[in-house]
Amino acid sequence: MTGMDIRSVIDGFDAARSRIEDMVQDGQDFADVPAKVAGRINALHPKRLNLVVSDVIVETATTRTLRLTSPDGGLPPFLAGQYVNLFVTVDGVNTSRPYAISSAPQDRGHYDLTVRKIGQGFVSPYLVDQIQPGAHLTSTGPMGSFYVNPIHHGRDLVFLAGGSGVAPAISMIRDIAARQLPVRFHLIYGSRRSDDVIFDAALRDLEDQHDFLTVTRVMSEPEAGYKDRTGFIDAALISDLCTPLDRKTVYLCGPPAMNTFCGAELRKTGMPDKRVHIEANGPPVAPQLREGWPDTTSVDQSVTVTVSGRGSFQTTAGEPLLNALERNGYEAENACRSGECSLCRVKVLSGEVFSPSEAKLRQSDRRFGWVHSCVAYPLSDIEILL
Amino acid sequence: MKDFDAIVIGAGNGGLSAAVALQRGGMQTLLLERHNIPGGCATSFVRGDYEFEVALHQLSGLGTEKQPAVLRHVFDSLGVTDKVTFIEEHHLYRYAVPGVIDITLPASVSGIVQTLSTEFPEEADAIQKFMDLCEVITLETYMALPNARRSGDPDVLKRNCRNFVKYGLKSTQDVMDEFFISPVLKAVLGGYWGYAGQPLDRLPFSDLGVMLYAYAAMKPWHIEGGSQALSNALLESFLEAGGDVRFNCGAEKILTEGGGVSAVRTEHGDVFTCNQVVSNASSVLTYNQLLDRPELAKNAREDFKSRRMGVSGFVLYMGLDCTPEDLGLEAATNFIATTIDDKQQYARSKGFEDPLGCLFTCYTVGDKTMAPQGKSVAALMCLQYGEPWDSIAPEEYAATKFAYAEKLIALAENVIPNFRQHIEEIEIGTPVTMMRYLNTPGGAIYGFDQTIAEHGAVRDRVRPVDGLHLAGSWTGMGGFQPTYQAGAAVAASILRKQNTKGNAA
Repeated sequence: MTGMDIRSVIDGFDAARSRIEDMVQDGQDFADVPAKVAGRINALHPKRLNLVVSDVIVETATTRTLRLTSPDGGLPPFLAGQYVNLFVTVDGVNTSRPYAISSAPQDRGHYDLTVRKIGQGFVSPYLVDQIQPGAHLTSTGPMGSFYVNPIHHGRDLVFLAGGSGVAPAISMIRDIAARQLPVRFHLIYGSRRSDDVIFDAALRDLEDQHDFLTVTRVMSEPEAGYKDRTGFIDAALISDLCTPLDRKTVYLCGPPAMNTFCGAELRKTGMPDKRVHIEANGPPVAPQLREGWPDTTSVDQSVTVTVSGRGSFQTTAGEPLLNALERNGYEAENACRSGECSLCRVKVLSGEVFSPSEAKLRQSDRRFGWVHSCVAYPLSDIEILL
Repeated sequence: MKDFDAIVIGAGNGGLSAAVALQRGGMQTLLLERHNIPGGCATSFVRGDYEFEVALHQLSGLGTEKQPAVLRHVFDSLGVTDKVTFIEEHHLYRYAVPGVIDITLPASVSGIVQTLSTEFPEEADAIQKFMDLCEVITLETYMALPNARRSGDPDVLKRNCRNFVKYGLKSTQDVMDEFFISPVLKAVLGGYWGYAGQPLDRLPFSDLGVMLYAYAAMKPWHIEGGSQALSNALLESFLEAGGDVRFNCGAEKILTEGGGVSAVRTEHGDVFTCNQVVSNASSVLTYNQLLDRPELAKNAREDFKSRRMGVSGFVLYMGLDCTPEDLGLEAATNFIATTIDDKQQYARSKGFEDPLGCLFTCYTVGDKTMAPQGKSVAALMCLQYGEPWDSIAPEEYAATKFAYAEKLIALAENVIPNFRQHIEEIEIGTPVTMMRYLNTPGGAIYGFDQTIAEHGAVRDRVRPVDGLHLAGSWTGMGGFQPTYQAGAAVAASILRKQNTKGNAA
């Protein structure tokens, strides 16, 4: 049809069309917008960071701080308490582990990751014993929700730390000091012996310099003659040091056993769960002891995992699915490796999988068979979609 | 022989419904999603004991089981109706401006007329007439108008779409002014303007009228488990039909041959050939970045100049350690403002000054499954453009975010006092967050600004590349119902053409 557009009979149509003509005059074709969007996101939330180890700092006999810089320029900002997931290849296996950043957010030139060697660990011995300055590493951008949230955490903060769980705490302390935030911060730090204390000198300096900070050290296996507090961080100790607790916010970061123990002890003090923030710390040590694990299945039971359309391998019921996938050459995106971030989500097409309470699954993921592979345990032969 | 009959880029609402419809229609389809989960904005996330709905406030267009409406039919055809549980909301919304009005509209046309006629008795007749107009304009928009346009006869259009011809492209403000005297009444009935992202004087009346009627007559709905449940159900339906999906696999380029689509290259370097591509990415990204030869889309880029980047949102996702009743909430949907002036509220979406209007959605009013017993999940949102965030340096981002969150909480506490003390979990989404997860310019959540000039009845379709189709909020209205329908409609048109070709051959 030529001539008039029939829509001209609609009141306002011609006006709207001429409005379009006007808009063209001072409009844009958004040609530069995709690059701007990518740049903006990359500055805050890069998917991957290329890092170079600029220094390895000996903290204790078993702990090193890896100082990481970016060959590409600046590093994205982070909130004190957040972590990056560090990708490594150990014994030919591509895997990763999340580590909290221990440096201050104000130190924009580097991230410090403080790693303690765990006896039977797979990655930490490699990082502590083998990483040298100059090594190249890859990580995710900073992530996680374990940070001081000014909206509802209040001004009276307590941090219960164990071992390298002090890493996010010292970053928070350094941040509070740099920003002169109007808060009080009490670090209660459990170590086995006094030569296991990480950041001992730095914490003493910070405590000397800043009134907001109190540090209490607690030794669980004190050497002979140790005079200060000993034992575990239990309800009695928490009540003794922190009463009144009712307006305080408590952060807890330690080995899994400590998180479980201190979480229960905090409840005994009457501290509401709402004011306790526990940093996830890996899959459960003994999944078979968790509610819902069937009595009939042993952690050593052999199962076959089939990756739909790609192949299959043998593993055991007690090994987290993500670890088994990695050992067998499959890659799955992941970050927290503790059940929370959901990046390692895979679909179970058949078979039975155990998801402990660490798996923060969406309701509908549960219904449609999606699991977080970092804390998923195959109880039978399974087929998954990767 | 091509690797796939069709490739769908992006598993948002439009992409998912297109993929399901194509695969169920017999075309072997590959669905690519750069994120690890289907849904785009139709998603949820878990913090502690809470699951947070990211984007869906109220689902429109569904109708009841006994009186199914258009979207239920679409879901039936996609095979997902039985895979999710829909929860009917019994209130449209509460509209509260302290010292001026605090009123809750029930979810029915007669209930709205009755409630408002009691509050504004001198305008009772006009209220009834206005709601009648919303009904007929809805019918005309969906039924009579497309038929009349196909007829090509202006007289048919005039005769069969009388109300659309008179009111459809007027501003909502103009129509309100014609019907009503009380500015408060106009503000209450215009409460949904935020769902379209434009103030009443810029919002075409047919958009607001259709929305109001669709929610009132076909009821507002929640989905048990949030919109993620529907996204998961769509994916399930796609897989059941034999579709292929790749997560963590963004499309990098749409490859063409002789001006038509020939393949898609992924971020991992794989190339999959096909003749049809449905892009659920924004038109801006599709034509300016994904297309291998942007010069093919010259007319689309020219067309961009007549559009304006749409609004994004600033959202607080909150887990509260109390019940909705403890907060005095009867309706899930609460529009809260300190002025009835929508233009003033909208003006604040362009900067960081104190917001004047917001939406407090308490999902637990209808769906008890997203929070532990005795607790609630809520989303507190105001509209905000992405543009003001462009000038915030990365190291200032977090502080800016927290400071603006404080302002938004203070605004909502004017009507829901002291809910802050109940916050157990909170996450903040800014326009930059929307940008990150939706990959849209400015973090736009409804596509371009949905002004009168953007209305579907005003625009002509621009399709510069053979076999390349768009499904989403960038070539039509934004929001859930429109994007699900857009995906299904694009698939239907591809299948129609495919079948015609098949028959000819």
